[in-house]
Amino acid sequence: MTISAQVKQTLASLKVVQGTLETFSSSGEKPEAKEILSSNSQKIAIIIKDLEKRLSVLEFEEPQYKGF
Amino acid sequence: MPEWLNILLRSTGLFILTLLLVRLIGKRQTSRLTFFDLVTGIAIGVIAAAISLNLVVNLANGLIALVVWTGFPALIYLLSIKYKAVRDIVQGKETVLINHGKVLEDKLLEARLTPEDLLSQLRKKNVFNFADVEFAVLEPTGEVSALLKKDKQPLTAKTTGLNVGQESVPQTVILDGIIMDEPLTAMGLNRRWLHTELEKVGVAPENVFIAQVDSVGQLYLDLFDDAIQVPKPKAKELAFATLKKCQADCELYALGTKQPEAKEMYGKSSKILSEVIEELEPLLKR
Repeated sequence: MTISAQVKQTLASLKVVQGTLETFSSSGEKPEAKEILSSNSQKIAIIIKDLEKRLSVLEFEEPQYKGF
Repeated sequence: MPEWLNILLRSTGLFILTLLLVRLIGKRQTSRLTFFDLVTGIAIGVIAAAISLNLVVNLANGLIALVVWTGFPALIYLLSIKYKAVRDIVQGKETVLINHGKVLEDKLLEARLTPEDLLSQLRKKNVFNFADVEFAVLEPTGEVSALLKKDKQPLTAKTTGLNVGQESVPQTVILDGIIMDEPLTAMGLNRRWLHTELEKVGVAPENVFIAQVDSVGQLYLDLFDDAIQVPKPKAKELAFATLKKCQADCELYALGTKQPEAKEMYGKSSKILSEVIEELEPLLKR
């Protein structure tokens, strides 16, 4: 597996986690728990953005592995 | 009127009358009877029995006694809610039996308790060593409540300094195969959501005996058909494990790359992720 494929996998996992946290925070009742969940999901969103940027660099360097 | 008919009529009438009169006294829990409750209860019972068996010749006399024995307690209970002095007389005060870990012998005598009684009451509370007790009190109902010494108290999340997640009451959404709409809407969910969740685990709604939704919206099921194994909801654990994996991945990439800015980005991401993990651990794991 190339690095870009690995990063893609991590990216996908992070997106899944972010989605789970969002569902939890939308269905939860306790405001404190909700806040923790949504703030952490925002933090993960920042990381996702960083990784996506890095991924585009990787794909530019190794165009033969572009796409899924 | 034959005697049997008389007794039948009296008994039926008194049964209904006592039922109504006892309602007047209110619904204090019968499991926590004080001595006074016991006395009034027995008195009412005996009077009712005596009247219905025709032991009281004059019906009116019997009824007066019955009304007095139910009316007075009702009145006194009302007063005792209002005034503490009345409460202390009627229900009695609690007696401190052990204070600062020392048994108070004179109080024990006052409460007519033998040391054996005290020990046996403590044993009922799972306290076998009286030295473990910091404070014990004899309740007006005759039960002993004990506060253990701090180091003998059961371990809690707080004493271990553990941070635990907030969780509210789970809502029961299916009972005996019937979908309960009110708890569902209280969680902000609907029938369609429930059907989707059941489809996810591959269970027909008719087959569900009990279903509960916890505070983050995970569904716990018990089926009529006990041969079927239902998967336990693992969304929380899975999310946590995935987070940890992603953090490890980022660290790995940081070590692998030769570009300084990429290294820095991965390092930062891994640091943020470890913070996220730390913050979410109480919510997702505990």
